[in-house]
Amino acid sequence: MAGKSSATPETYSPSLTGQRKKRPPILTDSDWVRPDGRSLHQCRPAFLRTGAVNSASGSAYAEFGNTKVIVSVFGPRESKKAMMYSDTGRLNCNVSYTAFATRFEDRAPETKDLSSMLHKALEGAIILKSFPKTTVDVFALVLESGGSDLPVITTCASLALADAGIMLYDMVASVSVSSLGKNILIDPVSEEESYQDGSLMITCMPSRNEVTQMTVTGDWSTPKINEAMQLCVDACSKLGKIMRLCLKEAATAPQD
Amino acid sequence: MVGLSLGEQNFIKGGIAQDLRTDGRKRLTYRPISVETGVIPQASGSARVKLGATDVIASVKAELGKPNPSHPDKGKVYIYVDCSPTAEPTFEGRGGEELSLELSSALQRCLLGGKSGEGAGIDLSSLSIVKGKVCWDLYIDGLVVSSDGNLLDALGAAIKAALSNTAIPKVQVAANASSDEQPEVDVSDEEFLQFDTTGVPVGRHYIVDATTEEESQMSSAISVSINRQGRICGLTKRGGAGLDPSVILDMISVAKHVSEQLINKLDSEIAAAEARDEEDEMDS
Repeated sequence: MAGKSSATPETYSPSLTGQRKKRPPILTDSDWVRPDGRSLHQCRPAFLRTGAVNSASGSAYAEFGNTKVIVSVFGPRESKKAMMYSDTGRLNCNVSYTAFATRFEDRAPETKDLSSMLHKALEGAIILKSFPKTTVDVFALVLESGGSDLPVITTCASLALADAGIMLYDMVASVSVSSLGKNILIDPVSEEESYQDGSLMITCMPSRNEVTQMTVTGDWSTPKINEAMQLCVDACSKLGKIMRLCLKEAATAPQD
Repeated sequence: MVGLSLGEQNFIKGGIAQDLRTDGRKRLTYRPISVETGVIPQASGSARVKLGATDVIASVKAELGKPNPSHPDKGKVYIYVDCSPTAEPTFEGRGGEELSLELSSALQRCLLGGKSGEGAGIDLSSLSIVKGKVCWDLYIDGLVVSSDGNLLDALGAAIKAALSNTAIPKVQVAANASSDEQPEVDVSDEEFLQFDTTGVPVGRHYIVDATTEEESQMSSAISVSINRQGRICGLTKRGGAGLDPSVILDMISVAKHVSEQLINKLDSEIAAAEARDEEDEMDS
């Protein structure tokens, strides 16, 4: 993948000055120094490309640090004969991990759980009425799991759907934060995830300012949740802009 | 599942807007909860909870096992929910699998907290016997017998009651041999979590504890799990429709308010159930 066209990956960070006026200053102790040198509220640089899989209706490849995901979308295709007639379209999601995606001592993640969460995250954004009686299949493959997997999968799947020409209400961007002691870290890597006290993941449609999926684990107080949600929604809107940029580049790139 | 005519749908929505639901409850009132403990003699602990017409059973079985190498001083807990076809004919075979998985993962998220164990409802280190070698594995199974909405809250309450009813034998480790068991009974003691569900039907009002008819009308819901100290231990958004972030925060504060009453109610019900249980044992 390194041999592809050489646009530099964009970095986005929700704590840019002037963007968030009312956030109280976070005391960033040197309690937790991030292994890759980012600040607490800085996301990993995102590398996004569409058109990764030629035989699919649409596809996308996303690389956020060490998390590498490829998603291909097939459809709309005829629904299986066993399924009942439905005047709205159907979405079928499947997430799988390659055998070399995680270090061998890590347990294999629950892919059924991830598949159903991906489904819930995407179904609010797709205009299902536009393809009645048919099914759209989304297949995600995690090539390397470096932390914050589901948000990357969701973002990549949304790009792939756009690449396939499926009608969407809006792009779906997703970001997760980890709480470690009193710090809140955005876009954690697997090491940070293993020490976390709590995690919060938000999937949202930035232009409509709507949250399609949200899961919280661990111990949170209300002001902390408030702050974490604000961070995530901010980061999602910036990620949304980067995704649109990627789609525009793909559309205007010369055919080779 | 439920076919509602247009008139019925409007009736439900209109009623909610006026703070009067079809069964006469207010928007933030729970249905009466009844708890019975010790319903499954072969399990280490069990409970049955009825929330209106929703009926669920939870059982806890404890077995000796080996701890996870990455967490040698913690026991393991497995939560699994089974939706029985007696509740809905569509649950037969693979039909109920999706719902079961969704419920199981929501419950796991709320009860087991973050990776380092923060915010967990169950204190996993109390399940450890010999560090790195032997620990208790708790298998918590939920069974949905009858479904009339709000399965998550009912299951949460049933698991809480089952855990407080659970008695695990005390284990003493002999110096050079492997562990022996003494038949002494030790009640497993946990931090408690409470569940709360908030639903958002069209019309921007929030209701708590929806029945199946109301659930079929709602576009999205949030289930929030809150512990005694008022801290949020888990949150799952259900349903596909999008929600404004401010709406979510609003629903969280409503959930906190309602959960205090729910925790007290549930505690008194569980205590009453346990008292009844002991009386029965003494009589027989």
